[in-house]
Amino acid sequence: MKKIATYATILAMCGGALYSVIAAENVAEQPVQVEATKEPVVCFESRKGASEITQQEIKPGWPNVKCSPTTGAALWYGDPFEGTVPMGKMPLLENIPDGHALVKPRTEKLALMPLCSTACHNGVGPQFTPPTLPKDKRPTPIPTMEAMVPDLKNLQHGRDRIWCMDCHHTTKRNMLVDNFGDPVSFDQPQLLCGKCHGDKLRDWRDGIHGKRIGEFTTGGKKRWFTCTECHNPHNVQDGLRNKGFVQLQPEPPPQLAKGMKDAKHELVHPVPH
Amino acid sequence: MIHSKLSAAVSAKENTSERQLQPVSADPAQAVLKTTRRDFLKTGGMLSLSSLMGTAALMTQSDDAHAAVEWAEHFQKNYRLMTDQEKAESRARLEKRYSSEYGKQVTVDTTDAQPGVLMGYALNIRKCIGCRRCVHACVAENNQSRGTKRAGEKIEWIQVLRMERGKFDAGKMNQGYPEGLGIQVGGNAYTPAGQILEGQYHYNPEKVPEDDANYMPIACMQCEKPPCVKVCPVRTTYREPDGVVVIDYNWCIGCRMCMGACPYWARRLNVTNPVLPKEEMNPVTHYLGNRPRMRGVVEKCHWCLQRSRHGRYPACVEVCPVGARKFGNLLDPESEVSLILARKNVFRLKADLNTFPKFFYFYD
Ligand code: HEC
Ligand code: HEC
Ligand code: HEC
Repeated sequence: MKKIATYATILAMCGGALYSVIAAENVAEQPVQVEATKEPVVCFESRKGASEITQQEIKPGWPNVKCSPTTGAALWYGDPFEGTVPMGKMPLLENIPDGHALVKPRTEKLALMPLCSTACHNGVGPQFTPPTLPKDKRPTPIPTMEAMVPDLKNLQHGRDRIWCMDCHHTTKRNMLVDNFGDPVSFDQPQLLCGKCHGDKLRDWRDGIHGKRIGEFTTGGKKRWFTCTECHNPHNVQDGLRNKGFVQLQPEPPPQLAKGMKDAKHELVHPVPH
Repeated sequence: MIHSKLSAAVSAKENTSERQLQPVSADPAQAVLKTTRRDFLKTGGMLSLSSLMGTAALMTQSDDAHAAVEWAEHFQKNYRLMTDQEKAESRARLEKRYSSEYGKQVTVDTTDAQPGVLMGYALNIRKCIGCRRCVHACVAENNQSRGTKRAGEKIEWIQVLRMERGKFDAGKMNQGYPEGLGIQVGGNAYTPAGQILEGQYHYNPEKVPEDDANYMPIACMQCEKPPCVKVCPVRTTYREPDGVVVIDYNWCIGCRMCMGACPYWARRLNVTNPVLPKEEMNPVTHYLGNRPRMRGVVEKCHWCLQRSRHGRYPACVEVCPVGARKFGNLLDPESEVSLILARKNVFRLKADLNTFPKFFYFYD
């Protein structure tokens, strides 16, 4: 017994020495490599293209997020509140202590937003005579918009029963619109979606639909995912799939059990059909 | 003799607990039957005791600090019986060892269950898309072994089961037993829908969800009446007052009784030495939670005690892209799980076994 232990110790020590040599070499090389190859790791959250996080170390040995090497999805949050701002006033959520309801603002993700209020046809102002406001809310093709946002070519929301102005404010194009015709910020899409999807809004408010991360306790500090972080408002059907959430690449499957070459057995039904 | 002692102790305990209406494990130090464990060691444990002595003798011969720490670990009490002083010592010991082993400052939390908290979980079975992000978030958080070379080296606590949607088909109306006469003894016009035992765990399509499948994640259900706790011969797995079933890894003898008893396939044994690369190791740990395990001990989901005891959502809840996973305090009527129980259609897996999981499936 003792002999084995001694051998093991010697072996381990040799290994350790070897390792430290390698480590020393690495250290020598590192500065050059870091400059040359260190590309920032970016991962996406729920809906691909809707929101991303750049991985960085926020404490020694503690990243803000861990990204999946397989799919590029966010797999672990070291800091659930990064990049968030207060949600703003929400009906029936007034009891949450200040600064405890947070969201990631959508506005900065929308490339066309700077244009929407200025260069865009707001329909008012001296350059618009006669005013180009849409006469009604009925669907009409808008080629200029289709070129900029391809999803609009075939608006997959509401099955032809809703159109742009049901969601976008008529004269304030950098705003959405609620049931009273009042403008709603793009950062608070729940106030828009909720006017037609009241049941979902209610569940969302109670934390049942959608997602909240951070502290689970009632009144605890949470980041709330907004509707548009998961749903693309211009396409909630995804064609024939007819689903409100787009498909994703899955993370790798579990390890095969001992002696198993593949998992084909799973596809065989024990009862013949 | 042992029998009479045991039953006397049990009935004594039942008397008091009946009056106080407290779960047996609410006050673990008192609930544990000290005589029982001693008896166990006396009768069945002589052999293992002597072998332990042997190990100790071997360890003391070397003056390696690491070995000394391990030696102390071998002789520490079951966590439930430790005094605060002993817990602090054990914690300091572990923090020192892990920190040097993983090359970073590792903390081992010993926070107790918080009063007024009973943790609960709910999973929206309709929303789950089978992406397995929860599985991998769990591994990133909980320091499981993640080797790939040998079987059993990669441990995951959550399993995601793919189930075929199945369908009934007029063309198969005549199939069945005996062949061609199916209709007489029960038609067989279906391909199976939602059959658990034919589930697929290793699916790997380009995209999920697939049109012809739905998915069902399974992990520890944190039962109110956990069969694993009932069978553990060393009483190292037990229910904490906040409802989570935990394991004191140091006392686990690797007998796998709990694995056999669990109807939810939730427990994993470290058959190999765990493979946990330094840079991937999560340095924020809990004694009963995600601290690094050793070979030969059983582990399982504990709802991220190291997080949840401090009010933070478990890791799987936070990464679910569709928001299917919900977690909260069952004693708080405002919590998301309480609201789900109040409002949605919920079911417990294998409810017929009377394990009373605190993990609920629901749909909207
Ligand atoms: C169901 C409500 C709804 C309808 C209908 C709708 N939109 Fe939108 N639209 C939104 C929301 C919400 C956003 C913000 C998306 C986000 O946050 O990712 C948006 C964003 C946009 C943007 C900015 C995109 C960017 O990337 O900067 C444009 C342009 C736009 N919509 C045009 C239109 C046009 C034109 C129509 C009619 C064909 C239309 N929308 C119909 C809700 C809607
Ligand atoms: C003006 C009313 C209106 C608004 C505002 C609205 N929706 Fe819808 N939504 C509808 C209608 C109508 C349908 C289609 C129901 C049907 O015919 O099946 C629908 C369908 C959906 C679906 C289900 C997809 C499907 O057809 O299966 C989702 C998801 C959805 N909406 C999300 C949203 C989100 C997110 C927002 C906010 C950005 C939003 N909706 C805003 C009217 C609205
Ligand atoms: C964390 C992601 C997430 C967030 C945030 C989210 N949803 Fe959803 N939502 C989903 C998923 C996943 C589904 C199910 C899609 C499916 O299978 O058709 C869904 C379904 C829906 C549906 C279709 C309902 C049905 O029964 O098919 C509507 C409508 C909807 N959501 C509206 C909203 C609204 C309104 C908000 C914001 C208040 C919101 N969602 C926020 C993920 C989300």
